Amino acid sequence: MSGDEPAPARTYESAVARVEEIIRRLDSGDAGLRETLDLVAEGRGLVEYCAGELEAVSQGLQELRLDELVARLEAR
Amino acid sequence: MSESVPIVRGGDPSATASQLPGPFPVGVYAGRLRAQLRGFTRVQLTGEVFGFSRSRVRIYFELRDAQGAIQCSMWRDEFEALAVPLTDGLEVVVGGGCDYYVGNATSSPSFHFAVAELRIAGEGDLLAELARRRRRLLQDGLFEPQQRLARPSLPHTIGVVCGEHSKARDDILAGLRRRGWQGRLVWAFAPVQDRRAAPAIAAALRELAACGEIEVVIVARGGGSLADLYAFCDEALCRTVALLRVPVISSVGHHTDHTLIDDVAAVCCSTPTHAAEVAVPLDVTAARVRLAGDARRLRDHGHRALVVRARTLAALSRAPAQQLDRQRRRLHQLTRELRAGSRRQLQRSDAAVDGAARALARVSVRGAGADAGARRRDLERLALALGAHDPQRTLSRGYALVTDRDGLALGSADAARASRSLTLRFHDGAVDAEVPER
Repeated sequence: MSGDEPAPARTYESAVARVEEIIRRLDSGDAGLRETLDLVAEGRGLVEYCAGELEAVSQGLQELRLDELVARLEAR
Repeated sequence: MSESVPIVRGGDPSATASQLPGPFPVGVYAGRLRAQLRGFTRVQLTGEVFGFSRSRVRIYFELRDAQGAIQCSMWRDEFEALAVPLTDGLEVVVGGGCDYYVGNATSSPSFHFAVAELRIAGEGDLLAELARRRRRLLQDGLFEPQQRLARPSLPHTIGVVCGEHSKARDDILAGLRRRGWQGRLVWAFAPVQDRRAAPAIAAALRELAACGEIEVVIVARGGGSLADLYAFCDEALCRTVALLRVPVISSVGHHTDHTLIDDVAAVCCSTPTHAAEVAVPLDVTAARVRLAGDARRLRDHGHRALVVRARTLAALSRAPAQQLDRQRRRLHQLTRELRAGSRRQLQRSDAAVDGAARALARVSVRGAGADAGARRRDLERLALALGAHDPQRTLSRGYALVTDRDGLALGSADAARASRSLTLRFHDGAVDAEVPER
């Protein structure tokens, strides 16, 4: 694999899968202090990302017509 | 008719003459063309009516499909005898052959398919045409591109193409509510039946995809006959869907219906509600609860990792102090035992002295005889010598024995200062005393 290859885009499902992998590792009790702290920090970042994604679809349904969206985009 | 007339190009008289036959009078050529066209095999054609109009003696319309179109005409009296309610958008089957109106000096020529038979296409005709279109799409590999597109489990923005006042609209909203999804919904309303539907739906899909913010599109329509749903079998529409870069979820008709758009879409659903649930695969409410649980577990792990280790370190750091404390307690215990032992030893010594004195007294009584007087004197001397060592005698002379409160004799001023609490034993009793602090 080339080092220049871009990392795959983060998605909600990939973030949740990684969080669960981290929790499984922590639950095993095999991680030392440094690894535990690193995993917890990574997990917290992922949880924050997931919470942001959920927040984005929890602010109340926003309905608009296609022409309204096009007008907004053109106004930018 | 002249066999060969040189053609002069650009007025250059030196230009060479064409090798083609002619020139012929155009009317002659047009007449021969008509004869040739009329010689074509008579056939049936099927397609959608467009631009239907009537003149005094003939009716005209175009017959169209995705690949092409042909101008058709029919004698008006023959058409009216059929009593077919012909309108634009209707799928029909016509029978006839090619014809050509040659025109003249004052009227334009025109090609047309001369219709001798005409009927509205039946379901069998539509299904046969559908099968042909499906085969073409399959041959062009257009069933797979949409299925290869990644679909987000939690889209922020969803596009919907449906009729503005359709029940499908309410069903989609109900499906999204069931998921707990409250993102942005972009409605692209379009006719979903008749000849305007397919181009309008295709245009809406292209515009939604061009916005760049739409992550998934639902195309929905309620049930109907195959003819009603035929717009969703339009080949141009299906090609548009297949090549769109945004995943399209189709829900057209009831679960028994199968239109061509279902073949090229990323997912085909039986109802608009189901389509909404497929567009948002994640149950947002449940996901929120699950995420909170994961966050709690992470926090607990982080807390435990630090606190447990901190406690262990604290315990290790306390170890030297605890060891000193243990040694100090042991030392005190030994000191107490030593003092108690000394007291007991002193008591035992006192008892031994008393016993010896009594034994000597008894021996002195039993030894009275010839040299009894000498022995008595010896005994008295010994008794006196022994009595000189009796501490009580010393006390009787005005001395005092200094002990601590446990009875341990203190033989020096330093020992007395160290003990602080003293007992002064005189011949007639004991007095407690305290050494004042300096």
